Amino acid sequence: MAVGSLVARSTAAAAGILSPRSRNLPGLLFSLPLLALFACFVVYPLFFVATRIFDRYTYEVLFSDPVYVQTIVNTIVYVGVAVNVKLFLALLLSAVLDSDGKATRFLSAIFLLPWAIPVLPGILSVRWMMSSQWGILNLISEDLGLGTHHWLASRWTAIGAIILFHIWKYLPFWTIIFLSARRGIPRQLYEAAYIDGAGPFQAFRYISLPMLGGIYLICTLLSMVFTMGDFTNVQLMTGGGPGDSTHVLATLAYRYTFRVGKIDWGMGVFATALPVTLLFIFVLIKKIR
Amino acid sequence: MGQTRRQFLKTTAVATGAAASTLSFPMVSRGQTKKLTVWWNRGYYKEEDEAMLKIAEDFRKAKNVDLDISFTIQEDLRNKIISALTARRGPDVAFCFYNDWEIMPKYAWEGQLVDTTDTINELKPRYIEKFLEAAYCYDNKAKKRAYYGVPIEAQTMHIHYWKELLKEAGLPDDPAKIPMKWDEYWAFWKKAQDNLRKKDPAKYGKVYGIGMTESSTASDTIYNFEMALLSYNGQVFSDDGKVVADEPKNREAIAKALKFFGELFLSGYVPPDTLNWSDGDNNANFHSKSIVMTPNPSVSIPAHHYFNAPDNYFNKSATIEWPDGPDGRKPTYMIAVKTVILPKDSANKNPDLGKEFVKFVVDPKRFAEYVKGANGRWFPAFKDVASDPFFSRGQVGKGGEKDPHLPTVTKIYLERNTKVFEHWKNPANSQVYAENVWGKAMTRINVDKWSPEKAADEAIGRVKTIVAQWR
Repeated sequence: MAVGSLVARSTAAAAGILSPRSRNLPGLLFSLPLLALFACFVVYPLFFVATRIFDRYTYEVLFSDPVYVQTIVNTIVYVGVAVNVKLFLALLLSAVLDSDGKATRFLSAIFLLPWAIPVLPGILSVRWMMSSQWGILNLISEDLGLGTHHWLASRWTAIGAIILFHIWKYLPFWTIIFLSARRGIPRQLYEAAYIDGAGPFQAFRYISLPMLGGIYLICTLLSMVFTMGDFTNVQLMTGGGPGDSTHVLATLAYRYTFRVGKIDWGMGVFATALPVTLLFIFVLIKKIR
Repeated sequence: MGQTRRQFLKTTAVATGAAASTLSFPMVSRGQTKKLTVWWNRGYYKEEDEAMLKIAEDFRKAKNVDLDISFTIQEDLRNKIISALTARRGPDVAFCFYNDWEIMPKYAWEGQLVDTTDTINELKPRYIEKFLEAAYCYDNKAKKRAYYGVPIEAQTMHIHYWKELLKEAGLPDDPAKIPMKWDEYWAFWKKAQDNLRKKDPAKYGKVYGIGMTESSTASDTIYNFEMALLSYNGQVFSDDGKVVADEPKNREAIAKALKFFGELFLSGYVPPDTLNWSDGDNNANFHSKSIVMTPNPSVSIPAHHYFNAPDNYFNKSATIEWPDGPDGRKPTYMIAVKTVILPKDSANKNPDLGKEFVKFVVDPKRFAEYVKGANGRWFPAFKDVASDPFFSRGQVGKGGEKDPHLPTVTKIYLERNTKVFEHWKNPANSQVYAENVWGKAMTRINVDKWSPEKAADEAIGRVKTIVAQWR
């Protein structure tokens, strides 16, 4: 404890204005509203979920539902591909945006646009573009003599569309993070490397990559946690269709809870994802420390 | 200057006391007035909501009730009611368009709904009785079957088409001249597409003859399938709620119905996007004239035109019946009956007042105004309201034009064979529909290129699993 605060504390106690115990009481009273809110919106829901996820029958039902098994595969593909492609591209793009020049500044402004566009109009636009009847993709495809394709009406092209939208939408955010990290790397390191005859690839391999390694891992873990719980993109793009073939865990949990009316099953879906999410968070916290 | 502990506690006690007395005063005051919390499905047209607000206001005044009514759109209200019933903090009265399919059978089974048999008995002389069984559900806690809701209005299947597109295609546009035999009927709409595309490929190249919803997310798909299944004389549940879908006759009918949808889609007479349509998408495609006809439960499509483009309503579109079955019999129509429920664990624990409110709403004159507010989108569950000339005659155009929609709809409800959706018989059926088992079977044929028989077997298997797992 700092010497100054010790002095102040003993002076206040000596003056008899506030004893240490009495200072705790108002602190506690002022904290009560927040603690009450925390109890209502964090502790109680957690308790509520806990009472519902320890039912073996729920998991028997889930694992016997082919949609659930398919959903696990979809989620792994979605998280695995979307996160890794997005972060790799973000790393590359941050290098481009890190260079000086008017064109780069213009590109940066353009490049940030997807991040600024709200999800709903963004997805509606993509859906419109992919419409089998009226979509521009099929119009181009027809003009090229490649015929039409039902983009959102088959499982893998629909999942591909969801992944592409996710990358398009969130790439700018992660690029900005990497750009900030790059700007923190001392310029002298690059200057020394170039004096020693290193090229751009070697500078990236031996300076940028090691210096950005930590932040890259943290970003990957964070993005995985966000993407695993992603509901909006999938729900708005395909609603889990066609034929429930593009559900991810979040949309399946919603379907069980509100469409089927089985809240236990919905909780069960999240419970099965919990160990993986907790593992990510655990590694993340360890890395940050 | 800082406070002493004594001063702080004194100030806090005084402030707390003052706050408590301020808060308690209106509570005492409110405690003397009866309270009622009502959650009502937001209507599709402002006229519906305005009519309901007026009814609520009249009830408030007539009964000196502190009535809190809120309107929510159907999907959100369904989620809200399910959450509230799970948390056992429901409203006193809840009316959601999904009650009869997804909420009432399950929560009646779990013993969470108020028995409304007394209200039903009181209203019975007024009811179109075939609608009533929708609310006759099983309470697995009380081990009894009783009424656990109050049916108020119904919807069924009708087919709307653009008369002007048929004219363009060189085909008769009068409903009386359209063939009503099964094969000829569907061939007629296919021919409309062929003729239009031949006439002007640039203009009609993307217009489809049949706007049949075949997605696994839309409830319209369920209606379409059930109608086709009845046409092929099949059934999934027996009269006592047991699964009979796997009996040879029914399996064959299911496979035939699925084959019918598969052929429509794969032959290119149905828009490819239909595999992803939600319930509003066939409406949107009809409004934009990218389909010649569409089967649709409820009168939402013509009602939209009535309010926004009367010329379309009276002169350019019409409503026609589902065709006779492949065996030549008149069709049987599936009817969903929209029902009010009263949760037991409600905000004010006042089921009697809730029942009073429902009876007040369905008063003949009042309820007629409410239903007319939606241009007959819903059909009343009461004979006296249904006998209003509005339903048999429909709207009258400014130039005296006859209504080409509502009289057909009324004929279906009152003169045709009908069958109420069967969730009330077995609550597992709610899950069969919620999972959209039949829509998924259509996807198997349309996307995965399965045979109808294989798709039927998978769907029947899923139905049996769901029923076996229900508890």
